[in-house]
Amino acid sequence: MSERLLITVIAVLVSLVIGLGLFWHPDTAPAPVVVTPLPPGGDFTLQSADGPVTLGNSRGKLSLLYFGYTYCPDICPTTLSALTAGMALLTPEERARLAVFFISVDPQRDTVEHLKTYVEFFDPGFVGVTGSPAEIAGVTARYGVFYQAQPAEMAGAAYVVDHSAETFIVGPDTRLLARMAHGTPPDQVAALIRQYLNQP
Amino acid sequence: MKRLSVLFAALSLSTAAFAGAADDVVVHEPYVRLAPPNAQATGAFMVLRNTGSKDAKLVKADNPASRLTELHTHINDKGVMRMRQVQAIDVPAKGEAVLQPGGLHVMLIDMKAPLSEGQVVPITLTFDDGSSKQVDVKVVKMMSAAMPMKHGHH
Repeated sequence: MSERLLITVIAVLVSLVIGLGLFWHPDTAPAPVVVTPLPPGGDFTLQSADGPVTLGNSRGKLSLLYFGYTYCPDICPTTLSALTAGMALLTPEERARLAVFFISVDPQRDTVEHLKTYVEFFDPGFVGVTGSPAEIAGVTARYGVFYQAQPAEMAGAAYVVDHSAETFIVGPDTRLLARMAHGTPPDQVAALIRQYLNQP
Repeated sequence: MKRLSVLFAALSLSTAAFAGAADDVVVHEPYVRLAPPNAQATGAFMVLRNTGSKDAKLVKADNPASRLTELHTHINDKGVMRMRQVQAIDVPAKGEAVLQPGGLHVMLIDMKAPLSEGQVVPITLTFDDGSSKQVDVKVVKMMSAAMPMKHGHH
């Protein structure tokens, strides 16, 4: 009798746990990860420390684009760290089909050498690119990226460039596929990358 | 990290004889973000918990590793991040102020030399009543998925 009772109790407990797992979703409705609508985007050629980079020459790779500047003390490192952490969740084969570009929105100050040192701190495979102020203005306009250097009185002694903090996912054909919000956690970064890597 | 904050809590309790905001405010989980070697600025993050019954205001931070130290915040304006200096960070009585990536932070500007992982930066926090406290903050490389969690999830 006691054995039967025990089994009943266990059965009730087990179904309770399963039920909770299935139907109880506290803290639902996560912040949106993908930002819409998408701007036109498209191909571009900019300079890196290792020569010119043309997005369309990615040889079948999916590209991630992030617009920032090397003086950026928090937002850019947060995004680049999240990308690094997200990519660490991918297989080596998946990572090999991915290119990451950090595009300067501070072309007056960011040299290609400075960009290279900065981005390679996060991942030796990341590529930092810049161009003339006119070229940067052209690329940012097509990607709907806002940037504006702030006078010192707005931000103390810090050199501050306000800028859009999203990450763009671009297909091998240079078609803009998605725009990830700032603060997207690494597991969702990995899931989004994988989704577009596996898209026919 | 946890052990460090316990240590800080213990330290601040031991000096509680000198009343003031610096004694009421306990610093939890402080860290300085390891920046790329050529970065000219980086951020320090922490949770300031006010154990006292009076509101406290952090009005100044100082450290020997950079030429300037400022209090900053970020405003997310439809995806555009705007970083701005703030005059003070409020730490309400029995409440807390969370300094975390993308929000409030202590900004170390114009580094004297690149920081290295594990290095300790002594940061002096000064409050509006003139009291101050020094917090020894470790430089942390934020790379893995074990990035310090957004506060409020635990």
